[in-house]
Amino acid sequence: MESTYQYSWIIPFIPLPVPILIGVGLLLFPTATKNLRRMWVFPSVLLLSIVMVFSIYLSIQQINNPSIYLSIWSWTINNDFSLEVGYLVDPLTSIMLILITTVGIMVLIYSDNYMSHDQGYLRFFAYMSFFNTSMVGLVTSSNMIQIYFFWELVGMCSYLLIGFWFTRPTAANACQKAFITNRVGDFGLLLGILGFYWITGSLEFRDLFQIFNDLVSNNQVNFLFVTLCAFLLFSGAIAKSAQFPLHVWLPDAMEGPTPISALIHAATMVAAGIFLVARLLPLFIVIPYIMNIIALIGIITLFFGATLALAQKDIKRGLAYSTMSQLGYMMLALGMGSYRTALFHLITHAYSKALLFLGSGSIIHSMETIVGYSPNKSQNLVLMGGLRKHVPITKTSFLLGTLSLCGIPPLGCFWSKDEILTDSWLYSPIFAIIACSTAGLTAFYMFRIYLLTFEGHLNVQFQTYSGKKNSLVYSISLWGSEGQKKIKTNFRLVPLLTMKNNEKTSFFYKKKYCINRNERSMVAPFITIPNFGTKNTFSYPHESDNTMLFPMLVLGIFTLFIGVIGIPLFTQLNQEGMQLDILSKLLTPSINLLHQKEENLMDWNWYEFLTNATFSVSIASLGILIASFLYKPVYSSLQNLNFLNSFGKRIPNKLQIFGNKILNVIYDWAYNRGYIDFVYATFLIQGIRRLAELIHFFDRRIIDGITNGVGISSFFVGEGIKYVGGGRISSYLLVYVSYVLIFLVIYSFFFVQYF
Amino acid sequence: MNYFPWLTIIVVFPIFAGSLIFFLPHRGNKVIRWYTLCICILELLLITYAFGYFFQLDDPLIQLTEDYKWIDFFNFSWRLGIDGISIGPILLTGFITTLATLAARPVTRECRLFHFLMLAMYSGQIGPFSSQDLLLFFIMWELELIPVYLLLSMWGGKKRLYSATKFILYTAGSSAFLLMGILGVCLYGSNEPTLNFETSANQSYPVALEMLFYIGFFIAFAVKLPIIPLHTWLPDTHGEAHYSTCMLLAGILLKMGAYGLVRFNMELLPHAHSIFSPWLIIVGTIQIIYAALTSPGQRNLKKRIAYSSVSHMGFIIIGLSSISDAGLNGAILQIISHGFIGAALFFLAGTSYDRIRLVYLDEMGGMAITIPKIFTTFSILSMASLALPGMSGFIAEFIVFLGILTSQKFLLMTKIFITFVMAIGIILTPIYSLSMLRQMFYGYRLFNAPNSYFVDSGPRELFVSICILLPIIAIGIYPDFVFSLSVDKVEALLSNYFYP
Repeated sequence: MESTYQYSWIIPFIPLPVPILIGVGLLLFPTATKNLRRMWVFPSVLLLSIVMVFSIYLSIQQINNPSIYLSIWSWTINNDFSLEVGYLVDPLTSIMLILITTVGIMVLIYSDNYMSHDQGYLRFFAYMSFFNTSMVGLVTSSNMIQIYFFWELVGMCSYLLIGFWFTRPTAANACQKAFITNRVGDFGLLLGILGFYWITGSLEFRDLFQIFNDLVSNNQVNFLFVTLCAFLLFSGAIAKSAQFPLHVWLPDAMEGPTPISALIHAATMVAAGIFLVARLLPLFIVIPYIMNIIALIGIITLFFGATLALAQKDIKRGLAYSTMSQLGYMMLALGMGSYRTALFHLITHAYSKALLFLGSGSIIHSMETIVGYSPNKSQNLVLMGGLRKHVPITKTSFLLGTLSLCGIPPLGCFWSKDEILTDSWLYSPIFAIIACSTAGLTAFYMFRIYLLTFEGHLNVQFQTYSGKKNSLVYSISLWGSEGQKKIKTNFRLVPLLTMKNNEKTSFFYKKKYCINRNERSMVAPFITIPNFGTKNTFSYPHESDNTMLFPMLVLGIFTLFIGVIGIPLFTQLNQEGMQLDILSKLLTPSINLLHQKEENLMDWNWYEFLTNATFSVSIASLGILIASFLYKPVYSSLQNLNFLNSFGKRIPNKLQIFGNKILNVIYDWAYNRGYIDFVYATFLIQGIRRLAELIHFFDRRIIDGITNGVGISSFFVGEGIKYVGGGRISSYLLVYVSYVLIFLVIYSFFFVQYF
Repeated sequence: MNYFPWLTIIVVFPIFAGSLIFFLPHRGNKVIRWYTLCICILELLLITYAFGYFFQLDDPLIQLTEDYKWIDFFNFSWRLGIDGISIGPILLTGFITTLATLAARPVTRECRLFHFLMLAMYSGQIGPFSSQDLLLFFIMWELELIPVYLLLSMWGGKKRLYSATKFILYTAGSSAFLLMGILGVCLYGSNEPTLNFETSANQSYPVALEMLFYIGFFIAFAVKLPIIPLHTWLPDTHGEAHYSTCMLLAGILLKMGAYGLVRFNMELLPHAHSIFSPWLIIVGTIQIIYAALTSPGQRNLKKRIAYSSVSHMGFIIIGLSSISDAGLNGAILQIISHGFIGAALFFLAGTSYDRIRLVYLDEMGGMAITIPKIFTTFSILSMASLALPGMSGFIAEFIVFLGILTSQKFLLMTKIFITFVMAIGIILTPIYSLSMLRQMFYGYRLFNAPNSYFVDSGPRELFVSICILLPIIAIGIYPDFVFSLSVDKVEALLSNYFYP
């Protein structure tokens, strides 16, 4: 038991050999390493499974005997400053470990098939394993420096994986954007760490909290400064968890391969911000205002993300905004001080969202064979539809994830979201109203994605029609079935839908080039290309392989049953006679550390629970209803159409136009990503670019100009002296005479003036 | 104690063996290359052996001392010795120069002279780091300029004469101030001139005179380091030089300026340093931001890296002037760390230039497909340059941050402000280094290249980059490798400041 803890320092190092071996192998023995190819999956899955077993064992220990284990070694030996490394095993760590490893293993298995035809297969696995290493390192860190250390490493892995398909210019931009946005957060994190180091003189969590609490109780701190430092620390979490002002990188990060979106940008790395705030909650809770700021940022993000997700036409971006919104829920819960609820939602959301992303990956995979490898097309919701018949298993698991995220009772997210909503009523009614309405929005956009993907008929086949006839009769508009009126609003979709076959194939061809690394045929797309796209038009998408379906099924099971850990129904009686669910039991020491009021946990009121649950479920089902009302395809159910028509007739014309305008506004809002990117691009990026040009000009023309000017002037002076001192008597005489003349002229001038 | 003249051998051996190159038989360039390489490796082994066996790490005093009278009437002597501050740069010199010689194998024009100059550089670089005599330091300092000038003006790019002239004018002009400072220190006080470094260090001067000396030394080292606004020779020089020369320039020559600042301005003139240090910190902070903002405006790849060097030198200035244990240790670590990172980046930029034959970043693109190994190493080193944790750059910069924070000299508000502005640098660094990566490697555009097929880096180039990469990661993970060298000496040096 004790020895388990003693040896748990090895946890972050277990997955490390894989990236090292693959990296060294790819650099030094590329052909041999590439020949092994699929063999590399086994060690990476195996090592990660070892970590998983280890962490499950650890958390069982934690449940039976809640304790916190800390071990420290010195890193640098110096008199004045000593840095330490160590590991901390507490409930939070063990929960995060289990989460990372389970999702990680599933995604590794999944991506074996997903990436199997990619040139960068091995590179992908090296990055993935390195990410797992650093993420596991992050959650086991015992001090701030270690957190920062792994925080940046995780960010680097995210950078590399977003830019995995580096031949795509969009991916290249996206990865740079992600890294720099995260660096802005890291800037805050570093300053916050330094600030707290200055205040307390310690970097280790327990000492830091202890010293800081003493200082606060003795009133020895400047609260303005402390709040500033805490906010700076929190800004690291803002960037990593894609909270409001720094969320811009997350939707762009969807340029990476889909397994990455599932693992990094939905389940683990974006949760690191939540983890950090949870870890530092004992610190934040004693500082005034900072909890309110956290809650405020959370509520802004959750609402903002939900509105942006409303009208995305890219399936992964829609899910990304949904992730952002759900992270906002967690942040809100942390801001309200409900530590347990936030973690509960973190767990349930991670499984559901990983499931959804894996499902979308499976959809993209099956769509790619039809529409080509461009992410603009294979991820485009407009081109999907009716996939229910072709990919039934994917559809089932995707539906499971969707329902879970909407908050439908037996599934994971229902329990956690319900608790967050309950807590928010206690915290502030305004926040609660926003949070509840966002629950409705969540249900709406998730079902919109689901319906557009799986219901109706495959829209790709209409594409050729619309391309020829140049009309949108058969195309399904994004905003439901009111076809004709949408022509104006959907103008951005027109080029996509009316794309000529020729263009399409050339796009396809180019992408193929990127993957096949065939640089010699680079010039080929500009010559004519045989029109072989047409034969694809009539094929159908296929269900993915079992290797891809298996992780989805496992995650589906997780999504179904993960709520168990937080449901007080399945309780155990502990020695004091209190009823505690598994999660609360695990988290008891941490919660006690926070000195929270505990009646929330203990009083399990059936009546209260039922009313809250009914309320949230009814909101969710309202969202689902509206979504199916708008997006259920016309021809799929005649009844619905009749109902819609009668509904449409009853509404006066003006109101209809008004409604359309609102829809346009929402559509533009979502399409332009809430105009935030636009603002950043115009003000920040252009500003920095201008400043760089200005300083470059200053450096070149003025600082360097002075040097060159001195050089040139000395050159001219030298030349002049050389010329003057040429040794010709006549020139000396000329100078002499001319000076005498000048003197005389001036003299005579003065003479005339004065006399 | 041993009386074997290790340091003299270390300093003299390369240039002596180098002059033998001219007597080698005319059997093509291969012989010369192998000969030079063997000499370099032998020298490196010699250095490590001597330091490993005869240098005590826990002794802050000067060790391996040698003292031979040279010119009697003004007490000039051949006086060598090393201590905790100079051992790191000497080891770095040995390492980088050997690798630079290996990197210079494609040079075919005037092979004899080139390799002789490389070996002369070897001596000329170790000389200033190991001399304990003021005038000897000056002579060594000047000695190393000549090979650089020749290397620049003969093997450089298109504008090589302009940049070589600029380099020599800047550095020789600044050396005048160095000479003035040295003469001032040597002639002050006692009747007979004192050139011994240790006796001068224990002497105290009137404040006004000390400040005057300080300014003189400072100008000399500020050109070398460089400190804005005296930095403009650096981008031109680095932009034009052959990449092996660039490795020496960025890896070692810049560090001589930093070393001089520690050795002369800090150790010799502590009062003036504590007077000037607030101004230096301001200059350093401005330099970090200024150079990091200039860098994205550069179209030339090598100039962009050169400006990133300038930006990183700002951390050294701040570390030196924070007058704290952590700050000075961080600055020394940054000297070593940037020596590796800068050299490696210039090496990789040079090798990729050898292939694509394009200088301007906006003309490049899509090289990742054809040269994946260079892409990998370039990415890793860009990450090291932007201070990714786990690499040496991060730990150096972080300890400089700690140094400025724990410094007892400054007021709270100024410390907060300086830290804040310095930290803006860590946002600006990825902007230029990552956009450099993106412009060079990402995308699929290959139209501008003269031929679209390149050879990936061979075993030699891979060996050089991995050799530099390993210490970067090793220091980043376990910084005590460097700290153990310098900690005691730094403490002894700083004791002058707290108990004057």
